[in-house]
Amino acid sequence: MTSRILVVDDDTALAEMIGIVLRTEGFDPVFCEDGAQAVETFHAAKPDLVLLDLMLPGLDGIEVCSRIRAESGTPIIMLTAKSDTADVVKGLESGADDYMVKPFNPKELVARIRTRLRPAASNPPSEQLRIGDLVVDVAGHEVRRGEQRIALTPLEFDLLLALASKPQQVFTREMLLEQVWGYHYKADTRLVNVHVQRLRAKVEQDPDNPKIVMTVRGVGYRAGAAT
Amino acid sequence: MRFRWPDREWWRQAPSRLSRQWRRSLQLRTVTITLALTGVAILVTGIYMALSISNDLYQSRLDQALRDSSRATTAAQTTMNASDVSSADGGRNLLNSALQSVQTSTSSRLVAAYRVPGQDTSVLAPPDRGSPALNSVISDALRAKVQSGGTQQFYQSVALPGVSGATDPGIVVGTQLTLPSYGRYELYIGYNLRDSENTLLFVQNTLLIAGLALIVLIGAITWVIVRFVVEPIRVAARTSERLAAGDLAVRIPERGEDVFATLARSFNGMADSLQSQINQLATLSQLQQRFVSDVSHELRTPLTTIRLAGDVIYDQRATFPPATERTAELLHTQVERFDRLLSDLLEISRYDAGSVVLDPEPTNLVRLSEDVIDELRSISEQNGSPLTLDAPGGYFDVGMDPRRIRRVVRNLIGNAIEHGEGRPVVVTVDSNETAVALTVRDYGIGMSHQDVNHVFDRFWRADPSRKRTLGGTGLGLAISLEDATLHSGWLQVWSMPGQGSCFRLTLPRVPGREIVASPLPLPPADAGELPEGVPTGDGALPVTESEARA
Repeated sequence: MTSRILVVDDDTALAEMIGIVLRTEGFDPVFCEDGAQAVETFHAAKPDLVLLDLMLPGLDGIEVCSRIRAESGTPIIMLTAKSDTADVVKGLESGADDYMVKPFNPKELVARIRTRLRPAASNPPSEQLRIGDLVVDVAGHEVRRGEQRIALTPLEFDLLLALASKPQQVFTREMLLEQVWGYHYKADTRLVNVHVQRLRAKVEQDPDNPKIVMTVRGVGYRAGAAT
Repeated sequence: MRFRWPDREWWRQAPSRLSRQWRRSLQLRTVTITLALTGVAILVTGIYMALSISNDLYQSRLDQALRDSSRATTAAQTTMNASDVSSADGGRNLLNSALQSVQTSTSSRLVAAYRVPGQDTSVLAPPDRGSPALNSVISDALRAKVQSGGTQQFYQSVALPGVSGATDPGIVVGTQLTLPSYGRYELYIGYNLRDSENTLLFVQNTLLIAGLALIVLIGAITWVIVRFVVEPIRVAARTSERLAAGDLAVRIPERGEDVFATLARSFNGMADSLQSQINQLATLSQLQQRFVSDVSHELRTPLTTIRLAGDVIYDQRATFPPATERTAELLHTQVERFDRLLSDLLEISRYDAGSVVLDPEPTNLVRLSEDVIDELRSISEQNGSPLTLDAPGGYFDVGMDPRRIRRVVRNLIGNAIEHGEGRPVVVTVDSNETAVALTVRDYGIGMSHQDVNHVFDRFWRADPSRKRTLGGTGLGLAISLEDATLHSGWLQVWSMPGQGSCFRLTLPRVPGREIVASPLPLPPADAGELPEGVPTGDGALPVTESEARA
């Protein structure tokens, strides 16, 4: 089954070129040029992943991102011409899983898309993991607190799973970048920071006093003890 | 503040303090000069007045005394002429009554009569009569004149014994008195001038007090007037200082229509035009930075398309004829180079616009260097330059922006490999109390002193004819310097032709804290092994450009 990818970009030449690259790699690209129609197209096309330009006519890319994120966990990769701190962080906080700074090369783009589309944790150590007072159902892609199901995006699930699968280990941000985002070189650790905050907002009972994703000062993060 | 009694030091410095005050205070100078000049004028006037008053006073007293004595003498003479006695008692009585009448009419107690010597000695003639106060003060010269002068009046200034031993100024007027049938007598009348002296003293005191009061008054008036005049100048001086310090909005308040209002108006006019021109320049510079940033951003989207297209073609180059295959390769590498250039340009424009924000994280400089060295190891091996790390210190976390410092380190090592001529490149990391530092030492061709001065310039190349293996953009060191400065750190260089180069990055241990000294030496420790004939001084000095800017 080919993965469908929604490319939201107002530059038709770039969209077409991305389309060529994606088709070559065996994806099925769908295009949208206008931010205002992006959410509509998203509903109609039901893509497996969204490539989203930050600067769009009609509706701002960040706004589109948070609207899609509000109703779906579909992976979103932002495309941005600006690598300035504020823009990137704003995009990540609005729910984007990853970002790419223009100009990017096709291999990198494809690699990132594949990372986001791959089935999470190919070899799960067990069917069910416990982290804090949560139960992670690896096969069912589900996280529950008691009977209550917590909705996570695939990326957030991957992040939680990475921590839960090795409860004794402290993960540095770089390790998490490699394991969850698929970066094999130094990348922006803000990705980790922002997504840990988003994850905590969903799974922690008191995000200011985390019990599930613990911070290890100066090193990184580790899973909270199972209770 | 506690009062401190001026000690010796204070007194020792007093002259210099005073002279400084003199040079600095227009007010002090004006008041002092005015006081000195009016003081001299008042002194001269006062002395003249005092002298002329005392003169007048004396003269009028003298005239009075002479008139007085002449009248008294005439009256006494008339009385004596009318009497007719020739006995000794009668003579004595006659003289007594004459002296009595003189005393009464002159109201002076100081009357003396001496028989003119050289007359027939007559037993009947009354003896000399004199007051003891007069006897001692009448000079022989006066007596001689009186004895030979007939009825003419003569006078002399004398010091009369006053009360309690003091002497009073006085005049003695002498003339001859003729006692009928007894002979001629010298008559002396003493006038005490104590009253006049008192009046004079009083006048002089009054003059002195008035003079002093006048000087004080003039001083105060001058002070007030100078204050009036100096205050606007002071305001103008203060305002121009603030303007010079960059506060372009300051103006002098314009009041009235006098010369100061004119000064204020023209000053404010100047400030207005200065402000508008500076604002115009600032706007222009902002526009330019904005333009560079916008251009860079606008170029990115088409460049992305070109890059994707180029890569797609590049991936299929094996299926092309040789010329097209090479074209695809060139397209690929040059697009990459263009990409890097654009990124650097954008980064520099961000620095120029002042929109760069430091994003510090606790970072271990040794680990960071290890990472960069690992990253660049394959390139260094291609160039045949062994890359080694020597880290005696620096194994702790320091607050720095790891993305920027990584970029600086990568850039320095990359440059060292490129110019290292295949010789070893040594990276050293060390720390001290205030700073961590990293040096990158190569043993390549090095640079001349002149080149070293330009090494941080944008788009500057040490040797334009040299081939660029790593394809730097020419902005790398300029950006690195900005990165170091942003961290309140130093980026310095030492280089000698034929000896290689050494770049040193020094960062404060605590962000924003001042660096006292770098833990690593520059020039490097092994820089002493100079080949013969190379002067040690020239070219061996570190360029401290980042220090100068920080």
